[in-house]
Amino acid sequence: MSLSIAGMSWVTPLGSNVNDVWQRLVAGEAAAIEILENEQNGARYLVRRVPPTATAHLPPHARLRRASAISRFAAAAGLAALATAKTPPSLDRIALVFAISNGGVIYTRRFYAEIVKSGAQSASPLLFPETVFNAPASHLAAILEISGASYTVVGDGAVGILALKLAEDLLASGDVDACLVVAAEEIDPLVCEAYRQWRFLRDPKKPETPRGMIMSEGAGAVLLKRSEGEMEIDQIAPGANFFRRSEASERLGSVVSRLKNEIGFCVGSGNGTFIDRAERAALGDDMPVYSPKIALGESVGASVFWQLITAAKALEAGTLPGSSKPPVNSHALVLACGLNQQTGGLTLRRRDCPAFPGST
Amino acid sequence: MKSEGKTSRRVAIVAAGVVSPLGFGLTETLQSLRQARDCVTPVTAFSVEKTRCKTAAQIDDGRLLDQANRSRQSRRLHRASYMVMTALAELLERSRKFEPEIAIVGTTSGGMSFGENFYRSLGNGGARSAALIANYPPQKQIVDAMEKFGINAPAQVIANACASGTNAIGHAFNAIRTGRCHRILAGGYDALSELVFVGFDSLQAATPEKCRPFDSNRSGMVLGEGAALLALEEFESARSHCAEILGEIIGYGISTDNHHLTQPNPDGSGPRRAMEQALAQAQLEPNQVGYINAHGTATVLNDTAEGKAIAELFGDVPVSSTKSMMGHSLGAAGAIEAVVSLLALQDQFLPPNINFREAELSLNIVANEARDAQFDCTISNSFGFGGTNATIVLRRFAR
Repeated sequence: MSLSIAGMSWVTPLGSNVNDVWQRLVAGEAAAIEILENEQNGARYLVRRVPPTATAHLPPHARLRRASAISRFAAAAGLAALATAKTPPSLDRIALVFAISNGGVIYTRRFYAEIVKSGAQSASPLLFPETVFNAPASHLAAILEISGASYTVVGDGAVGILALKLAEDLLASGDVDACLVVAAEEIDPLVCEAYRQWRFLRDPKKPETPRGMIMSEGAGAVLLKRSEGEMEIDQIAPGANFFRRSEASERLGSVVSRLKNEIGFCVGSGNGTFIDRAERAALGDDMPVYSPKIALGESVGASVFWQLITAAKALEAGTLPGSSKPPVNSHALVLACGLNQQTGGLTLRRRDCPAFPGST
Repeated sequence: MKSEGKTSRRVAIVAAGVVSPLGFGLTETLQSLRQARDCVTPVTAFSVEKTRCKTAAQIDDGRLLDQANRSRQSRRLHRASYMVMTALAELLERSRKFEPEIAIVGTTSGGMSFGENFYRSLGNGGARSAALIANYPPQKQIVDAMEKFGINAPAQVIANACASGTNAIGHAFNAIRTGRCHRILAGGYDALSELVFVGFDSLQAATPEKCRPFDSNRSGMVLGEGAALLALEEFESARSHCAEILGEIIGYGISTDNHHLTQPNPDGSGPRRAMEQALAQAQLEPNQVGYINAHGTATVLNDTAEGKAIAELFGDVPVSSTKSMMGHSLGAAGAIEAVVSLLALQDQFLPPNINFREAELSLNIVANEARDAQFDCTISNSFGFGGTNATIVLRRFAR
């Protein structure tokens, strides 16, 4: 089943206007790098952060009064994606699907820190509900007054593919006419420390080296319908899990082989870790590949949506940042490899470009 | 009840596996339900000195780890992984050739206690804790179990708070019903953790007393833990290879209640919409349902809203909350309760709602003892933070 992208938006460290950020990516710009310090152990991390102005325009809503950054990013991206749709969907025929990896980690850390520091009697009943994975989705559903299906899907950096697959299933069932698919993450020293100990982060003393990833935050959102819009997702292929890093290229290769027909370029998930080599091995040397994570950072749960929007803009413009022009009328491949076992991919095409045989 | 009249393939349950405080496997679970066993005990995994609630329904670690037959590599895994492995082992024992195209499972916190240990380790000098980090994420536990049994399929993990397990089974049902998939491994898992335990305690949602769902003197929930998995297969496909069909899923409803992040609308409209949708999809009238496995957390707010919706929609259909026996296992609850509902259908009995003393709502509560009954359909409810409401309908399979 082909899905039309009826609206899309993102909140990134490089900006929140889709066209502006796209132009900056094409121009080779990257989001500013900051240093984040961990008060608990003194460690320092390179991060790319969303500027506070990105969510300053949000309409006042009771649900956002105490909400963490992740919920604000999600609200900003979700509302903007709906606003870009030519035909606003009926709220009683829309589903919300949310992709997340680390979730509301700022409040989770604060909540648990109080327990450790002062004991269980100090635990905040205001913070605890915000630690739940589906809190950002709940806030967004309340803001938009969505009362039908709402799902939060958790996973690693490939979770966006699984969320899009769930949205595809919902639309195929005929139970809804549109699906707003949103993903968001926020930065916290605790998450950075976890990735540091896992040896995935870039050395803060060597910001110029391509080795190691730089954590970032933000959100992405797409409004999917059965037909409306210039871009269509042809196929969504969640991949099998890999159990050792050495298996990642094989799993990705399996995804690629299911999707590869007519593909002109790939927007990948390379982030300076083992994923770079795994993706290249899966794609072969000839395929043009661009990863927006190089400029925007690793936003984990939100990253697939940044890739998807980048691919849509590349198809629209006929340009791939940092690469030669992709073939005319080609399809784009969005390939996702998480740091912790998950893989997947999807193909995207302009609506005026024919679907290839085998599209579901 | 109006039928939606959409493409509808029948969805069979061809195998199941479960581990919960009620027992290891379907047989022990059935015995515990029949015996109205109270599985709530003092918490031992962490300090409860400063919490109001001191109890939970817990799975014995010694038995869990023994059962998992741990390899050297798997010793680093979270106990939630062993729970999922135990459930999957039983499922595959019953359906050795089951090869799912995808696993759709629910959880709320995955390996949360490893996250807690990681945080504490930083305060203790920042010792390297890579194994804790790698085994903490919420998708890791199902992936571990799939690896152990050589299942090579994607894992879609739904985190809709306490409705996660029912949402996972419901979505899997819909994917098969609409012809999108043929075989899905569906279910849920969660293990007890300090953060979540203290969280519910801080909200005063957890009780220092007995868990008494739907009782006029109910004072809150007790937490539980566990895992349950169902092997779902398109009915004709299952029949074609002579699979044993344990029962069918015939309806699913989902709604979102925007009243409050943690509190249901007291008018019960959210749960009611989920139940109505599920009945419509199942093409059932309310009086065709013979048993309701309620969400029934024993909090004042949940039971009022759910009880109102059930009373208005179903009248005197028998209702029980099996959380009174096994606690609230959050993301696993819907999956374990689907297994409970399946056992009720197969064994033709009504699982009890223990610790029940005094009715508040006009509900036909299955009070304190299991009862024999003849019925063909059950519904199972799960509701959660964020206003997520989910209901599935199960039907007995008559050969």
